[in-house]
Amino acid sequence: MALIALKSIYKIYNVGGEEVRALDGIDLNIKENEYLAIMGPSGSGKSTLMNMIGCLDTPSSGIYQFEGEMVQEMDDDQLASIRNRKIGFVFQTFNLLPKSTAQHNVEIPLVYGNIRKVERIKMAAKALEDVGLADRMHHKPNELSGGQRQRVAIARALVNRPSIILADEPTGNLDSKSGHEIMGILDRLYQDGNTIILVTHEDDIAQHARRIIRLFDGKIIEDSEIKEK
Amino acid sequence: MIQLFLENFFISLAAVFANKTRSMLTALGIIIGIVSVTMMGTLISGLDKTFESSMSWLGKDILYVSRYEWFGDMEWWEVRNRPRIRPEFVDKIRERSKYALAVAPVMQRGASLSLGEKETRTEIFGTNEDYMETITTNIIQGRFFSKNEDRSGARVTVIGDGIKEAFFGENDPINQYIKIDNIKFRVIGVLEKQGKFLGLFSVDKQAILPIGAYNRIFSKRGWMRLSIKIPENKIEEGLDEISSIMRHIRGLKPDQKNDFAINQTKAFEKNYNTLKLAIGGTGTFITLLSLIVGGIGVMNIMFVSVKERTREIGVRKAIGATKGMILGQFLMEAVSICLIAGLIGLSISYILSVLLNEIFPSTLDLGLALFSILMSIIVGVISGVIPSYQAANLDPIDSLRYE
Repeated sequence: MALIALKSIYKIYNVGGEEVRALDGIDLNIKENEYLAIMGPSGSGKSTLMNMIGCLDTPSSGIYQFEGEMVQEMDDDQLASIRNRKIGFVFQTFNLLPKSTAQHNVEIPLVYGNIRKVERIKMAAKALEDVGLADRMHHKPNELSGGQRQRVAIARALVNRPSIILADEPTGNLDSKSGHEIMGILDRLYQDGNTIILVTHEDDIAQHARRIIRLFDGKIIEDSEIKEK
Repeated sequence: MIQLFLENFFISLAAVFANKTRSMLTALGIIIGIVSVTMMGTLISGLDKTFESSMSWLGKDILYVSRYEWFGDMEWWEVRNRPRIRPEFVDKIRERSKYALAVAPVMQRGASLSLGEKETRTEIFGTNEDYMETITTNIIQGRFFSKNEDRSGARVTVIGDGIKEAFFGENDPINQYIKIDNIKFRVIGVLEKQGKFLGLFSVDKQAILPIGAYNRIFSKRGWMRLSIKIPENKIEEGLDEISSIMRHIRGLKPDQKNDFAINQTKAFEKNYNTLKLAIGGTGTFITLLSLIVGGIGVMNIMFVSVKERTREIGVRKAIGATKGMILGQFLMEAVSICLIAGLIGLSISYILSVLLNEIFPSTLDLGLALFSILMSIIVGVISGVIPSYQAANLDPIDSLRYE
């Protein structure tokens, strides 16, 4: 069974009396432990699609099943619970809380998951270790480099052991060396059995994935597997 | 849930301390509100205590017969035209009344007291040997004057503790002479220390003389009142009886109104309660207004805080915060500001009440302190609920894009 199943998904906005089809009939299945890159020019709907997959947004029409459950029928709290337990977001601009330490930033999803303090500290330390930041745990974001910040963000996405990591242009704000490191971490997480969904417009980043879909005007125009690495 | 509560608590403290100046200014409104609420309460309970202790000097079992009613609304000229209360009433009442335990005439005027170079202006009272029965104060040194001293017009006096302190200090005043309006009087007794009546004037600076001497020296003119002691369980009967004796003395016909008044401490109580209601009512209104203004300030700053942290709200929602959690976070922040402000306000009030206690009885009691803490929490919740609701309902995608 597919982990994520989208069937004729439409997302239609009304902008100044004009209908904008951000997603125009998307059919997409994603299985567990896939490494998927979503590509397309800006305005093609790739961010909307990612928000949809990440349960931040609900479709105007169509069916979205997450692990067999109907997402479009869920209320806000159920969506929040899925985001908390199953999905980890990695943003282009990192989106860490500036006044909290790396350790505390990584702990936040666990707080919302109602996990005890002692447990939280252990899990956060483990996640930071996994991204190679064991020695930067008590630093605040402004004391870290861009690459390190993104690694904190990945640790945060990872800490609750979600099945899916959604990364929206994760290397967009980084120099190529740091970007390379980040992609290395994502590759490793994929090999460890996690599902990775990347949004990018850079081909060489997309080449890390095993499957690439291209969007144009809210439609999937290409869905290809990369056989050999 | 406790995890989240603690987390929210720390977040809110961090937010409050991250913007110290802003938080302080916002808190100021609440601090002022809480200070006024608690000071108001403190003063009213102080007023109560003062009133009670002042009333206890008067005694509930004393009837005061005079020309005017204490809190009456008669015109002054009407009172003036009433016949005087005369010294001979004392004996008439003693003869006819079966309830009167003691009857003391009391006359009062201002006079100057002096001893050598020391001089002070004060009130002097002329009365008879029954007077001590009609007040609750005791003699702490010496004695009160006797019936014979009164009849013979002996120039003796019983002085208040304040006069003794001022004139004699630690020395024994008994059998010393002081001058009252330049006439020598022998001190035979000292009254115990009393404090101020209703916080207004000190009764410790008085001098009491036998009414015989008083009349001879300071003329018979001036108003007299009678203090009559009645058994405590016979007040109503005593009141009726004295009233009818007075009517008889005055020769009033049944259809004529009383041309005298019989006052009781009850009249004070009734008036005091009206006064307290007026002060309390106005006070409550004003203090509530200041709390509301303070609350508006908090609400305002909470809207700013939500706006500033829109992106943070988006991130929190993306990683799994529910609406309720976000609501709780911002509500906690508003409550924290108000609670901290409340505690500061309470400390200020406490210090003020201790300082004020020097001149007016005021103690901040525990109930009032708890009430003010509760009030600050309520203000926090009320002023935080709309901004927090707004924060909780922000769209996560829009908030993530917010710059």
